[in-house]
Amino acid sequence: MSTPLIIAIVLGIILILMYNSLVAKKNQVENIFASVDTQLKKRYDLIPNLVSSVSKYMEHEKSILEEITKLRSEANKPNISDEQKIAIDAKMSSALGSIMIAVENYPELKANENVMHLQRSLNEVEEQIAAARRAYNQAVTDYNNALEQIPTNFMANAMNYRRKEVFEIHENERKNVNVKELFNS
Amino acid sequence: MKTLSQLTDFYYKSLHPTLTELEEDRIALRKRVIFIEAILALIVLVTMYFMLGASSINLNTLLFVGFGYFAIAGIVYKLLIKGYASDFKFRVIAPLIKEIDINLKYTPSLHVNEALYTYSGIFTSSADRVNGNDLVKGKIDGIPIEFSDIHAEVKHKDSKGRTSWNTQFQGLFLVSEFPKHFKGKTVILPDTAQSTFGDFIGSFLQSNNFSRNDLVKMDNVAFEKEFVVYGTDQVEARYILSHTLMEKILSFKKRSDHPVSLSFRGGKIYMAIEYNKDLFEPSVFHSLLKYKIAMEYVETLHLAIGIVEELKLNQKLWSKL
Repeated sequence: MSTPLIIAIVLGIILILMYNSLVAKKNQVENIFASVDTQLKKRYDLIPNLVSSVSKYMEHEKSILEEITKLRSEANKPNISDEQKIAIDAKMSSALGSIMIAVENYPELKANENVMHLQRSLNEVEEQIAAARRAYNQAVTDYNNALEQIPTNFMANAMNYRRKEVFEIHENERKNVNVKELFNS
Repeated sequence: MKTLSQLTDFYYKSLHPTLTELEEDRIALRKRVIFIEAILALIVLVTMYFMLGASSINLNTLLFVGFGYFAIAGIVYKLLIKGYASDFKFRVIAPLIKEIDINLKYTPSLHVNEALYTYSGIFTSSADRVNGNDLVKGKIDGIPIEFSDIHAEVKHKDSKGRTSWNTQFQGLFLVSEFPKHFKGKTVILPDTAQSTFGDFIGSFLQSNNFSRNDLVKMDNVAFEKEFVVYGTDQVEARYILSHTLMEKILSFKKRSDHPVSLSFRGGKIYMAIEYNKDLFEPSVFHSLLKYKIAMEYVETLHLAIGIVEELKLNQKLWSKL
């Protein structure tokens, strides 16, 4: 075999490997986003029940409750992009967080079985969302790294791959002190 | 749970009469051990001397006799101190465990079931021989926990058909309930590749480890440095390993000062702490009154039993109530 041929074959193999690893990374991101999505849906399913249970009592938080309902219907619209989902999730997390803190000011709510149960379920889903978000961020980081590092960046450019956004992890979530602490007290 | 200093107090105050009695036994026993082992050595030396005189001897036979002597001397030592060792376990270790938690049951002759050891998935191959002793079993804060000494070995056959036993794991093996629901398997091992070969080659080796599940990269730099995580599910592994738990595992690792491996499977947490020696065994050559010797027993027990509190295994998640 001539030397140029050997070089061509080796180059070909390297290109195939690069291509495959990029595709694998892109699919991993999509795959994990699907599980983030499942968890987010689970949380959206809890919301109508939550809103109807607390709205009777909560006078000052009406606007937050309205926003939550609005965000939920936005999230349930068909054909929204992953970036939009990420943005809605961030808003939803902070809105739900303020409702959970506000519950503390209403003794009737704190004692309510249904609300207690909702808080528990929400907390459990919240933990699973946090895990899914972290997994997603790692997959996106791997993907974005491949997009920028030599030599895969040339291939990615040719394949028209674009950088993806990560979820912003809030500082309080990192500390894991969320709602659980509140109803332990 | 009692603090370490409370336990040390208990050891030196409440157990003091027992310890002084055992100390007398030990000194007498040490004399006997030295005497008998010396006679044994003398017999071997005399035999070797006569064998040399017969001149039909080669190096191999000499080596064989030498190894034979060490093996027999070891067995004789174990037999001689057997009574003392079991006295020590019943009169010192058992009360210590009761002092830490009254609900714990101590059985010196048993060990954690081999099936649990294999099921944990911490080791990729199953062991051919599993020995152990000093089983502690019971509930702490309502959480079932058990641990024991484990010595697991793998059989090797060389080209000449000779068999030898290689240690796969020796140390403390611990099983407890984990408060979260999960379906898959997550294994956490000490990070040897990354610390030996550096970040780049190390992580390449880790992601191409075919005997393990997928590599799970964790988002805690200190944790990533100490450990490597393999799991069947990327999301689940992170659900189990919350930021809080990673911090707790790190501080546990620092406190134990020995290589720690963990796994999560079938609703349980498994932990293997490598000591490379048989724990909770007394030696006739060291006094039980010595601080360093005493602290080894007290600290190891405190560490193992404290795991429920340390990793907050007693904080049940709502869904598992």
